[in-house]
Amino acid sequence: MRPSRVVITSYQVGFGDCFLLSFEYTTEKRHVLIDFGSTGLPDGIPKNQLDLIANNIAERTKDQRLAVVATHRHKDHISGFTTKKLRPSSGKTIADLKPELVLQPWTEDPKLAVDAKGPLPPGFPLAAHHVSSLAAMQQAAGAILSEVKRVRYLSPSLRQELSFTGENNLANLEAVKNLMTMSAAREYAKAGDKTALEDLLPGVKVDILGPPSIEQAETITKQRSRDQDEFWHLMAHAAASLGPTRAQKVAPLFPGFTVERSGAQFPIDARWIVSQARRLRSDQMLRLVRILDNVLNNTSLILLFRCGPKSLLFPGDAQIENWSYALSQATVREKLKKVDLYKVGHHGSLNATPKSLWDLFDQKSDEDGPDRLQTLMSTMAHKHGNEERRTEVPRQTLVQALDRQSALFTTQSLKENELFHETSFDLS
Amino acid sequence: MRNVKGTRHSLRSTRKLSIIAQDPSVKIGGRIVIASIDVPAEELLSGPRGYRVAVVDYDVTANALYQAADLPSGLDGEYHDPFQDAPDETLLTDPRFHAQNVYAIAMRILARFEFALGRRVQWGCEGHQLNILPHAFAEPNAFYSRDDRSLFFGYFESFPDQQGHTRTVFSCLSHDVIAHETTHAILDGLRSRYLEPSSPDQGAFHEGLADVVALLSVFALPDVVGAALDGATGAALIDQSLLEKDKLASSVLFRLADEMGEEMSGVRGGALRHSIMLPPGKDYMNDPEFQEVHNRGELLVAGMLRSFLDIWVSRLSRIGTIVDGKKDRSLVIDEGARAADHLLTMAIRAIDYCPPVDLSFSDYLSALLTVDREVVPDDRYGYRDALLSNFRDFGIEPSARADSDGSWLRCDDEMIYSRTHFDSMLRDNEEVFRFVWENRKALKIGDIGYIEVQSVRPSVRIAPDGFVLRETIAEYVQVLTVTAGELRQDFNVDVPEDIEFWRPLRLLGGGTLVFDEYGQLKYQIANHLLKDRGDKKRQGDRLAYLWRQGFLDKKKDRAGNFSALHLARSGVQERAG
Repeated sequence: MRPSRVVITSYQVGFGDCFLLSFEYTTEKRHVLIDFGSTGLPDGIPKNQLDLIANNIAERTKDQRLAVVATHRHKDHISGFTTKKLRPSSGKTIADLKPELVLQPWTEDPKLAVDAKGPLPPGFPLAAHHVSSLAAMQQAAGAILSEVKRVRYLSPSLRQELSFTGENNLANLEAVKNLMTMSAAREYAKAGDKTALEDLLPGVKVDILGPPSIEQAETITKQRSRDQDEFWHLMAHAAASLGPTRAQKVAPLFPGFTVERSGAQFPIDARWIVSQARRLRSDQMLRLVRILDNVLNNTSLILLFRCGPKSLLFPGDAQIENWSYALSQATVREKLKKVDLYKVGHHGSLNATPKSLWDLFDQKSDEDGPDRLQTLMSTMAHKHGNEERRTEVPRQTLVQALDRQSALFTTQSLKENELFHETSFDLS
Repeated sequence: MRNVKGTRHSLRSTRKLSIIAQDPSVKIGGRIVIASIDVPAEELLSGPRGYRVAVVDYDVTANALYQAADLPSGLDGEYHDPFQDAPDETLLTDPRFHAQNVYAIAMRILARFEFALGRRVQWGCEGHQLNILPHAFAEPNAFYSRDDRSLFFGYFESFPDQQGHTRTVFSCLSHDVIAHETTHAILDGLRSRYLEPSSPDQGAFHEGLADVVALLSVFALPDVVGAALDGATGAALIDQSLLEKDKLASSVLFRLADEMGEEMSGVRGGALRHSIMLPPGKDYMNDPEFQEVHNRGELLVAGMLRSFLDIWVSRLSRIGTIVDGKKDRSLVIDEGARAADHLLTMAIRAIDYCPPVDLSFSDYLSALLTVDREVVPDDRYGYRDALLSNFRDFGIEPSARADSDGSWLRCDDEMIYSRTHFDSMLRDNEEVFRFVWENRKALKIGDIGYIEVQSVRPSVRIAPDGFVLRETIAEYVQVLTVTAGELRQDFNVDVPEDIEFWRPLRLLGGGTLVFDEYGQLKYQIANHLLKDRGDKKRQGDRLAYLWRQGFLDKKKDRAGNFSALHLARSGVQERAG
């Protein structure tokens, strides 16, 4: 038994990912939902867009077999799975479909999660340290976000970037819980693992190319994972020295020793360094949220679906650190050469499509043709990164390359009333 | 000439100030260990703001400015230490003490460099005064920023103890962290090109040297050495068996590493612990794991600290035992502090004997050996042997361009001196450039790119015979900007294939010229631009490294450089580009 066709439905989630892969067998369809989240919708899109999408998924998959993949825990990949107490929600709609499998990266394995306020003591496996620091990073994102909301010196564009990235990295407990409970079968996979997705999809080979486990990662990462755990826990609680935020203010460190301001102004001889320190602090906050954003992106599952002559690559938001393990293996590189459809990593950011990966794709071509590489990009401009620093998402130079050498579809081209776009492949 | 006090006596040159000897977690008898140190005496503005350091206590996270410390003038009486005998509670909760602590330690480190080099030393940033923000933000981090002319120290909340209590940890109360950051600012002043991305060695050197200075300057405080040696037992004698190198390594170094690690590992990422735990005797330099700059910096620390132990043990052999194989504890401690102090002087002076660009650890080792050879030509104390063997234990050999004993080759070439003037050569960049230009053949600097003499500085020390010895140190840098294509074709440099042929690349070369007291060239310590195959390989390796790390695409971001580096110490890596 093997599918004759696959339809990939790319939903309009603004800045986020939501793809439904529907494999058509002779008597039935079987589906894999890869990610369902959003951190910002374009103007004109209704506020209940995620509910509409959930309903559409339900319509398409009702009473058919379905698996859910959450590539990593960023809001823009899982917020659609959020449930609301006693109220209907997109998360409940998906859960009601009773997916028979939920596949997530190994970093989501609840067995590794330790309810620790601080870093784990030595003796725990490195994987547990890594998971512990991921949790602390999300708390640190929260701490930075609260500082961003409180201070007044940030420029609008910087505030926007910090708020966006900060928020995207907050823990989304309802969605995480929903993913943990919506199906009886759960898998937490690392590079090279076998997955029960293959049982659901006869005739389809599913390779898990990432994320590597700590043991598979470079030795340096291993050595540093404990230090990192410690740093992020300290970072998450650093501002606790100042006490809680009340009315957008925190108490100073030394309440009895502050210098009064006249009006809003500090004494004249301190003003230059005050403004320098603020600029530096904003750079530093941005640096930190970008680092933790990258680390979480690198927990992404990278999935390669191979069926008949076609190969479909869904790398989540994986960046070079995650990719490098896969790319170091000759057998994987061979498989990647044959990719027919590439879901563009991380909404088109430069770091998520390593050059060494792009160079592998044999089907790239400047000419239109039946076998030309197809690329799908789910994104929204002006949300992430900054053009001046050449970090904007989607990155213009990458978009140009995709457009020139592949048949590119981006969700940005969907009209206001279009909920999705379909791409299909004949697998016979 | 009368001074402001109306007398003809000299004014005091130093004053005593209390500092926290290590950090507040290190206690003896339940009390924080305090040291009273000498810092240069000066008339201070509120802050303290003095002639080299200005403390401004602004906290960005809380958006608050804290009261400045006022250190009393010494002109109307004696210099007074406001926090002498202050209770621990005051030391922790009074930001004015924190300001005094950073001021005093930064000034002490600066004075230490000036003492070793026999000249005033400038910061790497513009201006003469470095700002210090002791409570800059809530973050387990501290760093030097050249563009902001400042050192920033963060604070954070500790992990809960067994009772669930936390306390605020101030990086501005950690001697080690302050000394480390101050060293960055000073080294940047001595060798500004070391902040440019080059090889993993050069990146690692800033971190490694800052750690070495921080550690050796802590060891030079006798109280700290005593506490680390055997705790504060109060005993007058110490058993000789505790004074073997391995014993000292596991007592003094490990204890210190533990103490420092405990509170500050969030800031320092356990660097000290890592460096001490490295078992000697492996070729770390070629180990892929040690290509990363922080790991690599630990090799320099390891080599230096183990050399320190050897020097200490060798000095101890000259002290007799008193009874039952026991030695006088205070003498043992004094010798430890002296050994640390001596090695620190060498470590600082060696910077003058390093090439101005593309520094490698091997260059630094050769510089250390040269410094020692200048002072003690016959190696009668065995310091050079100690350095050679301890660095070798971590895979670091002297430079291939050095003499057979590992120190730099003396310059024996005939030079043209007649077109320059002795006196101008002591201070004038233009004159030294003329010298370089006239002697470009003998100096083998080639005729491509442009040359800039960056500095001409005196180096003064007391010679073995007790006389003052003055040398002149000049640095020149060569810059060549060419495209990747030209480098491949015209210069035969192996540029990584992926670098586009049109991409302009900037290559650096340069040398340090050491003139003796007669103005004759004594050493030329150079990394030439593209003189021979070795240089071409160095340039190719450097480009490959920069390309891999993404530095060739990165905009200049010096302020971010150290904050990122220090984050990376905690395993928190930011990718360039």
